[in-house]
Amino acid sequence: MISLAGRDILHGWGKFVLTGVGLGLLIGVTLSMAGVYRGMIDDAEALLDNSGADLWVVQKDTLGPYAEPSSLNEDTERPIRAMAGVDRAAGVTYLTMQIAHQGKDVRVMVVGGEVAQPGEPGQPPHLIAGRRIVQGHYEAVADVKTGFAIGDQVKVRRNTYRIVGLTSRMVSSGGDPMLFLSLKDAQEAQFEKDADAIVRQRARTASSPVLNPPGNPAVAEAVNAAQASSTNVNAVLVTVAPGADADAVAAAIRRWQRVTVYTRAQMEEILVEKMIANSARQIGMFLVILAIVSAAIVAFIIYTMTIGKIREIAVLKLIGTRNRTIAGMILQQALGLGLIGFAVGKIAATFWAPFFPKYVLLLPADSLRGFFAVMAICALASLLAIHAALKVDPAEAIGG
Amino acid sequence: MAEGIRIDNLVKTYGQGDTAVHALRGVNMSVAKGEVVGLIGPSGSGKSTLLKCLGAVIEPTSGRMTIGDRVIYDDGWKVGDLRALRRDLIGFIFQAPYLIPFLDVTDNVALLPMLAGKPNAVARKEARDLLEALDVAHRAAAMPSQLSGGEQQRVAIARALVNRPPVILADEPTAPLDSVRALAVVDLLNTMARQFETAIIVVTHDEKIIPTFRRLYNIRDGVTVEEDPAGSYGRDNANKS
Repeated sequence: MISLAGRDILHGWGKFVLTGVGLGLLIGVTLSMAGVYRGMIDDAEALLDNSGADLWVVQKDTLGPYAEPSSLNEDTERPIRAMAGVDRAAGVTYLTMQIAHQGKDVRVMVVGGEVAQPGEPGQPPHLIAGRRIVQGHYEAVADVKTGFAIGDQVKVRRNTYRIVGLTSRMVSSGGDPMLFLSLKDAQEAQFEKDADAIVRQRARTASSPVLNPPGNPAVAEAVNAAQASSTNVNAVLVTVAPGADADAVAAAIRRWQRVTVYTRAQMEEILVEKMIANSARQIGMFLVILAIVSAAIVAFIIYTMTIGKIREIAVLKLIGTRNRTIAGMILQQALGLGLIGFAVGKIAATFWAPFFPKYVLLLPADSLRGFFAVMAICALASLLAIHAALKVDPAEAIGG
Repeated sequence: MAEGIRIDNLVKTYGQGDTAVHALRGVNMSVAKGEVVGLIGPSGSGKSTLLKCLGAVIEPTSGRMTIGDRVIYDDGWKVGDLRALRRDLIGFIFQAPYLIPFLDVTDNVALLPMLAGKPNAVARKEARDLLEALDVAHRAAAMPSQLSGGEQQRVAIARALVNRPPVILADEPTAPLDSVRALAVVDLLNTMARQFETAIIVVTHDEKIIPTFRRLYNIRDGVTVEEDPAGSYGRDNANKS
C-alpha cells in the first residue's frame, strides 16, 4: 500500500514545508526557553565549580554570599585555615555593578580574592589569555564575555584597573561575567564611601571628645582611617585536604566559629532551588503556553488541510478505504509537520543560541524530550482533523 | 444474459409519521452483465437516493437487492462489511472525475486493488493494462491536474473498472463533456461493459446520450418505469430537429 500521507505531502511540499518552517521557529523558541533554563542551572554550577571551594563560610544565619548579603571579618579565615581537614581558606568579596567601558555599560560581578598565592579558592581556575594578577593593586582579570581585552583600562568606582588576563565561563548565578580584582581593591570598591560621606564622618569624629580627645590627634586619625577602609569579606572559601570529609570539616567549623557553613550540595540547593526557582517556574509557564500554542497551530493547520480534502476523503471512503487508513494519513501528516518543525526548530535554536545575552545550554537529552513532546502534541492535535474526516459521509461523493 | 444487479420492491423512507418522506416507493430494476442502462428522472424524483442505495451507502427501508448471486440486502444488510462490498463489487464514476489530486494516474487507478490487499507491483500492472485499454496509458505518470477533462474521465472509468466489479454506478459521467466526448464516453462504457461483463447504470440528464441506451429507467415520485430510450428523449429530440 502506498503512503497517502507521503504523496499528499510531496504534492503540496512547498506549502507543507513553509508551514513546517513556521512551526519550527515556534519550536525553536520553545527549545531556546528550555536552553535558557538549563543555562541558568549551568551558570550556577559553573559558579560553584569555578570558585574552587568545598565549603562556603558565611555570616551566621545568612544564605550568603550569592543569595543574601553576608559580611565576615577577613580575619575569620585564619583560625579556619588552622583547623584539621582544611587545605586552603581565602576570603572573597562579590559585588555586582555596572561598569562604563568604551561608551557602553557592562554589567559585571566584581570578585575580590587573595592573589598572593596562585590556586587560592575564589581565583579563576584557568586563563585563556594573559596572566594572573600579581600586583596587589590596579590589575584585573576579566571573563571574556565582558568584552574587555588585555590591556584595556576599566574604571571601577574611583580607580582604574588594567586587564592583564582573560578567563571564560566565570559568571555569576545571574549570568553576569566576572571581573577579578585583588581582595584589597575589591574591598575598597565595595565598601568605599563617597567624598561627602567621608567629610561628614570626619567632621563628626572631630566633634566627638571621645573619638577626638583633646591633645591626642592620633586617635581621631586612627578612627578616620578605620572608618574609611574595610577589612570585611562576603565569605571565606575553604578547600578541604585530600581524604578529609567535607561534612565533618563543615561541622567542626560550625562548632568552633560563629558562622554558617555550607557544603557544595547545600550551596547548590540554595542556588538552584531557591535563587532560580521562580525563574524556572516562569520559564515552565512559557513552555506550557508555547506547547499549547504549537498544538493549536498544528491542530488548525491539519484541520484546515483535512477540510480542504473533504471531497477526496468522501471518494476514498466510497471506494472502500478503511477509516484507519484515512486516520493514518492525517496522523502521518501531523507527525510529518512535527518532524519538519522540530528539525527547523533545533537548527534555529542552535543557530541563535550564541546570540542570547545569557548562556543558552541546549542539552541533547532536552532535544530528545522535545522531539517526543512535539510528536505527542502533533498526534494529539491531529485528533480534531481525524474526527472531522471520519465523520465525512461517503454519500457526499455522490451528487444530489 | 446473466444478471448483474437486481432490485425488487426497494423502499426508502426518511423520517417517520407525518414528517416521513417516501423517497423510493418500491423500485424494481434489473441490469444484466455486459449491459449499460440509463436512469433518468427529474430533480426530487428519488434518483440520488436510489443511487446511494445501489451503492450501499445508505440502507433501504425494505426490499431486496442482489449483485450476481449474492444477496446484498433483503429487508436488512446481508453483507457485514459495506466498505469491502463497495470496494469489491461496485465501481463508481462521478459527475466530476474526483481523482485523488496527490496521486498520479497509475496510482489513482491502482489504489483500489492496493486497498484490496494486492501488492503494489501487481496493482500497478493491472492499472497500466486498463489505462492501455482506455487509451490513456501515455498519461500514466501524469498528475490529474495535468489531464484534459476527457482524459480525467477515462482515468475515472479505469478506476471504477480496475477491481472488475460486477456493477458500476455512473453518476452524470458526461455532464462536463461536449457532445463528441460525451458520446465517446458512452461508447467506451458499452465496450467496457461487454469486455468486463459489468452491469453499468448511468444516471443522467444528458439528452445527447439518452437515445444511445438500449434500455432506460425513468424514476418519478420514487417509482421506476422502463421506457424506450428512442421513444422519449429521442423522439422529442427528433421533433426539435
